[in-house]
Amino acid sequence: MTRTFKSAAHILFAAPVAALMILLFAAAPDSTAADTNVQVQLNTQKAGPREIEPLTARGILRDYRFAWTSMAQALESNTLDPFEGPFSGDARQWLRQTVLGQQQSGLSRRYLDQTHQLEVVFYAPEGDVMELHDTAQYQLQIRDGDKTIHDEHVVVHYVVLMTPAADRWVIRQLQAVPQF
Amino acid sequence: MSGLLRFFGAMGFAAACAVACAAQDLRVPQSAVAGEIATISTTGSGNATFYLIGPGVSRKTDVTLGQEVPLAAQDLRNAGEYLAIVCSGTCSSANFYVSAAKPSSITFLVHPSRVPVGQENVVSGVAFPFDQHHNLVLTTQNVSFQLTAKDASLWSHPVQTQNGVAWFRTSSGKSAGPVQVVSALGDLTSRRVLQQVASDPCNLRITGQRTKAGILVQTDPVHDCAGNVVSDGTIVTFTATGAQGTGTVDAPIKQGIARAQIDAPGAAAISVASGVVMGNEIHVGAQP
Repeated sequence: MTRTFKSAAHILFAAPVAALMILLFAAAPDSTAADTNVQVQLNTQKAGPREIEPLTARGILRDYRFAWTSMAQALESNTLDPFEGPFSGDARQWLRQTVLGQQQSGLSRRYLDQTHQLEVVFYAPEGDVMELHDTAQYQLQIRDGDKTIHDEHVVVHYVVLMTPAADRWVIRQLQAVPQF
Repeated sequence: MSGLLRFFGAMGFAAACAVACAAQDLRVPQSAVAGEIATISTTGSGNATFYLIGPGVSRKTDVTLGQEVPLAAQDLRNAGEYLAIVCSGTCSSANFYVSAAKPSSITFLVHPSRVPVGQENVVSGVAFPFDQHHNLVLTTQNVSFQLTAKDASLWSHPVQTQNGVAWFRTSSGKSAGPVQVVSALGDLTSRRVLQQVASDPCNLRITGQRTKAGILVQTDPVHDCAGNVVSDGTIVTFTATGAQGTGTVDAPIKQGIARAQIDAPGAAAISVASGVVMGNEIHVGAQP
């Protein structure tokens, strides 16, 4: 389960790989601001019992991407405002707690180079709730003040509940799981 | 220039970590449950900084390497992925997952709140089990859906949750009135009430008579085909056709009957309709 460099062979292998990845980062035009390069792909083939209309699928794509952009911005800059639109309920609650905790401890997180493979697994008969599975990949950086204490490419599986609000779909539940 | 700085800074971080991350190690819980205490064991010696990064928690504390780091129940309230990092000069990390605790509530959505009787597959419900910390319970659960009216069971259906959700769809009953919709999971229940109302009128019939003011027409008590009294407020349209042309009057049903006064001095044929349902036609003679 331990993620970092435990053996000599691992160290020898990991260092050039890390260097290569970091080189790619260094070449990035701007890696200081919240990364807005969030790629989302949506698969609706398993959606049911209600069928997803193309307009709804477009809305989900747009709003899910916006939610992750906002979340990345909030957790990097430790501000609460970005949560107000795209999140609701328990998801917004724990995200707020996260930011407040970071503010207290001087930490921040960065989610870079995000890609999300999003799959709808349930769409309620009346269209009032949708469950999705997101296989997300990103570079996660944890910083204590100006010091990076953790930098890793991760693949995380999220179970997501979204509901329609007045003018968008909002995330109400965002729960990471080991696997689907 | 800034790119080069970032490059060398990051190279330094990677190289330093590669050399010294083996100095301390973490052993994280194999299976943690939301809202329960847990411990992380560390190896090595000396002082270090411990970080717990997870959903709703960003904690930083000083620890002594070689000792266990207790994780409070409060820190692990939210199910999801957690990252434990320990830094003593260099950093090492390990991740672990916290799963939802046992269900303690059911979020239950039922549609619609008002439904005509005798309609196929118009009632649906969706149930999500949550634990006491509002985490979605993703392990399979047995949920029972029931529809009852006046303590009589109309319908029941057991469903296993898949991906943390159970749902049903069924037809409305035959009798107007309130229906309780219940989802049950073990000792937990969640109730909603939907109102079944009469469907479209059936055998719509009118009678009429001439009065000094015109023609007074009224329906027989309006029922649907199952015998339920059609709801007050339902609009009934009377249409009078005579030598002077055609006129319509809309009247709401009150206590099961709709009435209207039609100003027609000559003979008229009067028909009735409600929604898409047509009734009988009567003929009333001219004013004497």
